[in-house]
Amino acid sequence: MNTLVKLEIKRTLRNKKFMFFTVLYPSALYLLIAGGAKTSETIGDTHLSLPVLFMVSMASFGALTAVLMGNSERIAKEREKGWVRQLRLTSLPGRGYVAAKIASAAVVTLPSIIVVFLVAVMVKGVRLDAAWQWIALTVAIWAGSIVFAALGVAIGYLATGDAVRPITMIIYFGLSVLGGLWMPTATFPQWLQNIADWMPTHAYAGLGQAIELGNAPHTKDIALLAVYLVLFAGAAAWLYRKDTRKA
Amino acid sequence: MTTSAIELTGDGRHGTGAPVVSFGNVNKSYGSVHAVRELDFQLFPGETVALLGPNGAGKSSTLDLLLGLRNADSGTVEVFGTSPQQAIVRGKVGAMLQSGGLMEDVTVREIVRLACDLHPRAYPAEQVMETAGITEIADRMVNKLSGGQEQRVRFALATAGPNELIVLDEPTTGMDVTVRQAFWGAMREQAQAGRTVLFATHYLEEADAIADRVIVLHRGRVLADGSAAEIKAKAGARRIVFDLEGHIDERTLRGLPCLAAVEVSGRTVRIQSHDADATVHALYGLGLYPRNLEVAGLGLEQAFIAITDAATAEEGGDR
Repeated sequence: MNTLVKLEIKRTLRNKKFMFFTVLYPSALYLLIAGGAKTSETIGDTHLSLPVLFMVSMASFGALTAVLMGNSERIAKEREKGWVRQLRLTSLPGRGYVAAKIASAAVVTLPSIIVVFLVAVMVKGVRLDAAWQWIALTVAIWAGSIVFAALGVAIGYLATGDAVRPITMIIYFGLSVLGGLWMPTATFPQWLQNIADWMPTHAYAGLGQAIELGNAPHTKDIALLAVYLVLFAGAAAWLYRKDTRKA
Repeated sequence: MTTSAIELTGDGRHGTGAPVVSFGNVNKSYGSVHAVRELDFQLFPGETVALLGPNGAGKSSTLDLLLGLRNADSGTVEVFGTSPQQAIVRGKVGAMLQSGGLMEDVTVREIVRLACDLHPRAYPAEQVMETAGITEIADRMVNKLSGGQEQRVRFALATAGPNELIVLDEPTTGMDVTVRQAFWGAMREQAQAGRTVLFATHYLEEADAIADRVIVLHRGRVLADGSAAEIKAKAGARRIVFDLEGHIDERTLRGLPCLAAVEVSGRTVRIQSHDADATVHALYGLGLYPRNLEVAGLGLEQAFIAITDAATAEEGGDR
């Protein structure tokens, strides 16, 4: 099983185009969105400026994009090509496959998060109060992305062929917007805010926002993400073993 | 004898030891398509068995059921006395699928090592590559291989450990003649080591040359089960071709004795018969005067066509 995890990581790193795009895309988006915002403007009742807020949002959004899109499409493709059928003829347990896919996704997200931070510091002059916040932000956003990597695996198993991309897109935009990764949920009407509160993306963004403000992440956010992780990874492993359709 | 005699369904032959594979009245449908119907057969240790049938006969479905990639709607599938999944987890089954894709962006050596790592009783990876004849291409990327090379890599994956049952779905597709011969050579070694080999094919000469037992599938049913020679013999071993002048009454022709199949195209009549002498004698007895009369033996290919055509004709209303 370890060989599979190592091999999945290795071949992700070999895929230069994929690496290049997913690592640089969040930073490009960050510059586009936060480009005109001034560091002096603060939002609502916080002392956070737009460039800081967007830095965390885009790092989270970028990580989410990489793992969700990357995993679902690659898995759907592997199923179509029959590699997953071949793997199912080995003694590999379902969790082994899911673990390997999540591990290879995590390899891509770490550099993409760090590049967004570097761009924010160098181009937008973003500063945080304490050094631990940088480390905590990196770890929280990285760890949180695992939840969506598992969701990506599950989607790759539910959808096939041409349906994968639109389905992933809908889930991806829905989750991003509802979770407040693009705009603060405070601007939503109340009923939508109530829904947003339970979104995994909202909890994910919440991790980073709490750290930005110098606080520890909320227990509710962590618990919610843990529940979603178990749910998504469980569904992915079950679908891997269950997949009796033409793969 | 009438056409019904062709539907020979042999029971398990060479029955030595506990069956390796046992299908008990297995049914499988996809929507309205009945892929496999009342499939009932057993494979025994050391047999080399060809699963023969036209496209859509249910060969791939049968192999999928055998490997636990799909579940039967009804009936039982047992491999080494357990479920297919359990037999696979125990490392008793190796399979080479027609549609079995390979992992991309990895080298041949890496994918073989992976297969060995996942097998509970694996051989060393270098040895597996040697046996499959892929040592020279070990450092090549898997997605840059030719069709035949890919097939050999799949063969390596299917033989990563001492599997007691080897399942091959159209294994020689994309191989040229030399590679094909080398492949069957390697396969014979497996069989001589006492392993059970089951392969699906539409190359009849392959079934004829390699298998010691042929199971003919048609529309999800076992039509015939026996040695290639037996199938040829029972399918209507002779082929009679002649031309007729004037009006051809197909119904009269169908009344001839010992027929397996009758086909009329224009002036030409083609008949398959179990006893060509009796058929030809009766032909003259009808007062007909056949011209350009030819009587020849059937290859397995014609035998196969005869069997499946007869079954199709009988099932007429079932289409």
